[in-house]
Amino acid sequence: MVAQTGEKRYSDALVIGGGIAGLQAALDLAEQGYKVMVVEREASIGGRMISLSKVYPTLDCASCITTPKMSAAAHHENIEIMTYTEVKSIVPDGDGHLVTVTRKPTYVNADKCIGCRLCEYACDSEFADSFEQGLGATRAISVAFTNAIPQKAVLQAEYCLSCGLCLRACPTDAIEFDQQPRQEQIAAHAVIITTGFQLNGLNIKPQYSAAQSANIISPLTLERLLAPHGPYGRVLRPSDGKIPESVAFVLCSGSRDRTIGVPYCSRVCCMYSIKQAMLLAGSLPTADITIYYMDIRAFGKGYEQFYQNARAMGVNFVRGKVSHIDVAPPDDLMVHVEMTEESVDCVRRQKHDLVVLAQGMIPQWNPSGVSTVTIGEDGFVATPDLASPCATNVPGVFVAGAAAGPKDIVDTIADAGAAAMVAARYLVRCGSKESAQPGGGRSVRLELAV
Amino acid sequence: MAGPFNPELHVDLKRFGAKDLDMCMNCGTCTTICPMSEDSGGGFPRRVIRLVQTGQQKKLESSLDPWMCYFCGDCTLNCPRNANPAEVMMASRRYLTSRYDFTGLASLFYRNPLTEIIAIVLVGLFITALFVFLHGPMVLHRVELNTFAPVKWVELGDWIMAGTLSFFLLAGAVRMTWWTLGRRDMLRVSPMIFIRQIPTFFAHLFTQKRWARCGSHPSLIRWIKHLLLVSGYLSMLTLVLILLRWFQTDHVYPFYYPQRLWGYYATVALLYPTGDFIVSRLRRKEPIHFFTEASDWIFLVMLFLTALTGIMVNVFRVNGFPMATYIIYVIHLAIAVPMLVVEVPFSKWSHIMYRPLSIYLAGVKKAVADSTGKGSDAQALEPAAAA
Ligand code: SF4
Ligand code: SF4
Repeated sequence: MVAQTGEKRYSDALVIGGGIAGLQAALDLAEQGYKVMVVEREASIGGRMISLSKVYPTLDCASCITTPKMSAAAHHENIEIMTYTEVKSIVPDGDGHLVTVTRKPTYVNADKCIGCRLCEYACDSEFADSFEQGLGATRAISVAFTNAIPQKAVLQAEYCLSCGLCLRACPTDAIEFDQQPRQEQIAAHAVIITTGFQLNGLNIKPQYSAAQSANIISPLTLERLLAPHGPYGRVLRPSDGKIPESVAFVLCSGSRDRTIGVPYCSRVCCMYSIKQAMLLAGSLPTADITIYYMDIRAFGKGYEQFYQNARAMGVNFVRGKVSHIDVAPPDDLMVHVEMTEESVDCVRRQKHDLVVLAQGMIPQWNPSGVSTVTIGEDGFVATPDLASPCATNVPGVFVAGAAAGPKDIVDTIADAGAAAMVAARYLVRCGSKESAQPGGGRSVRLELAV
Repeated sequence: MAGPFNPELHVDLKRFGAKDLDMCMNCGTCTTICPMSEDSGGGFPRRVIRLVQTGQQKKLESSLDPWMCYFCGDCTLNCPRNANPAEVMMASRRYLTSRYDFTGLASLFYRNPLTEIIAIVLVGLFITALFVFLHGPMVLHRVELNTFAPVKWVELGDWIMAGTLSFFLLAGAVRMTWWTLGRRDMLRVSPMIFIRQIPTFFAHLFTQKRWARCGSHPSLIRWIKHLLLVSGYLSMLTLVLILLRWFQTDHVYPFYYPQRLWGYYATVALLYPTGDFIVSRLRRKEPIHFFTEASDWIFLVMLFLTALTGIMVNVFRVNGFPMATYIIYVIHLAIAVPMLVVEVPFSKWSHIMYRPLSIYLAGVKKAVADSTGKGSDAQALEPAAAA
């Protein structure tokens, strides 16, 4: 049952997705005096980036960049963050949009919860932690992850045993088993879609046998293995905890492949694989590290140098697309590839301990059924006007970051800034048109713009 | 074309059916997947596609790789660019056939199927005219096929046809050998090597046994059907070219006599696989059937009709319908002869020669490489390995 709250609230802009793109766009608008609401599906903001270990090409710590943005947004007086909330519909309404959201029940009263995690420590129900890519365990009631924002517990009903241990543990009586989903309506002038990407699954190409081996892993799993506060605190291979001696990165394993419906290049895999190879070379100095690639797309500033550094560090680059992977019992993997750069024709079979599949980027969210925003052939939000890359087909709805197509972090942040800029311009225009009407929730700046 | 490069080669190959050739990004997936590639040491299909993309016509002409592929289609199913590598291999075989043929007719027929149909019709009309004007007396109260078409004349025609076809086919074989063994280098190969490889040629002519290793299960079944077809085809040629006097008789022998049984075997061995191939091409279930070129259709339909009219001659003859026998006999020849004349040297049927020849030549090449490899410099470099 969904409860309806009568009050319709106002905001200048509504940002869908609290990852790095959404936070950047929200901060850029808020700094200009606009009121912004950020709607986040998960229990914490931070998106994909907060789960990464380091970023290329500077090898800066990813949390060191993300966490300040997260808290800046969370504490900004012009920003309101709604986590654990999903967008149900976006309907154009005059110059603006009427956005209906569902606030999923967390079964914890956010006002009372102080983030002490006593409930989490008390809980008896454990399951694979999706933040750790399934490598660690979490509990049915928990704070999403160490540096999550907000630091509030969330109870996941499907894992809850209804034993009541948390109820007794909570010092503030914050736990409310009877919470229901709640619908809210927000009238926003501008909407910015920053819903990001997901990876297209390890099993999408059965030729790579990922279903048969725990040692064929996703790059996001390797990020967790490499993260200083990751599940094992070091790099071990999942099947038996062995320290890998030979690691393979298979590039283009989920992109540039029409047989799996992803004909485009995901743009980031070359660089993050090089980065991961470098980090691995640091944490496993004696391991052989091989990157199987078709062509290294090191297109950004400083990227080529980064790539050359990896080569100089002894990372092995082999040109050729891996066609299939067999499990070499008990736990190793055999990679098959044509050596397309050798002078003699040959197909090589190479054994590795651990294989990382550079999966393809596909959109996280499909707006169809929620909004009239159209998507392109590739499934990402379409941006029909080349001269205005953040504009969708719907006036006042903008898109930024990987929601519009594969992008790395640098490009995503630049894109989010651009989206904030065009959204601000749109707000100025709306503001001047609606100047006669009472301001409602609109900001000072809008009135100033008259 | 001047020099070894032909920038238009990829355009040419498209006319021979390799429509998606330009999609290939040379990733090598196809080569790694291909069950035939590694033993043949070819690095195909990617290397073949690369030769075409880079216009290396001479190298393509001297390559045996296209003949090592049996079109299992595994490469096409796995190609990330939908470049249809198996079809490129097929198109290169068509292309090579047209290049081995010095008359240019093969090239004309492949690139413009209409010309092939016209050629078939012309030869068919010629055969019909021969019978209309030169047939023997028509006995109408019982079937006397040998009076209508005296076997010695038919046999003479057979031999003239066989001689001509063999000439064109052998000319193609010589060009193929000359090119693939490295032109002038060929003259340096010891004749013993050529002789020692001969059994390979016949073994593959009769069994196509390499095919059995190619690809997955459906391809094995396809091999068996193909084997059936070849046995039917060779039976037909034997009965018509060598045993005609014994086969075309007016006396109706009992059912179990070998000439009748053999004839029935040939009919079934031709009708069943051709009918089956026609149906599966229409249904397009396997990659080999995704695209069917006109030449494939002509080949299948002509063969099917040959076998069908052949068995009808037999039915009318055995049941004593003189007029029907004579007419269907003429139709039978008006289909069979153009099929042989047009298809054997200049189109699809030539592969009956080129396939085993390519394996033979690959054997020769390998023997040559081995013998020179064991010679002077290899020994000097690796005395341990030589001992
Ligand atoms: S044909 Fe396809 S699989 Fe083969 S190299 Fe080209 S793109 Fe790769
Ligand atoms: S069709 Fe089969 S045999 Fe031919 S190149 Fe492709 S994989 Fe190899």
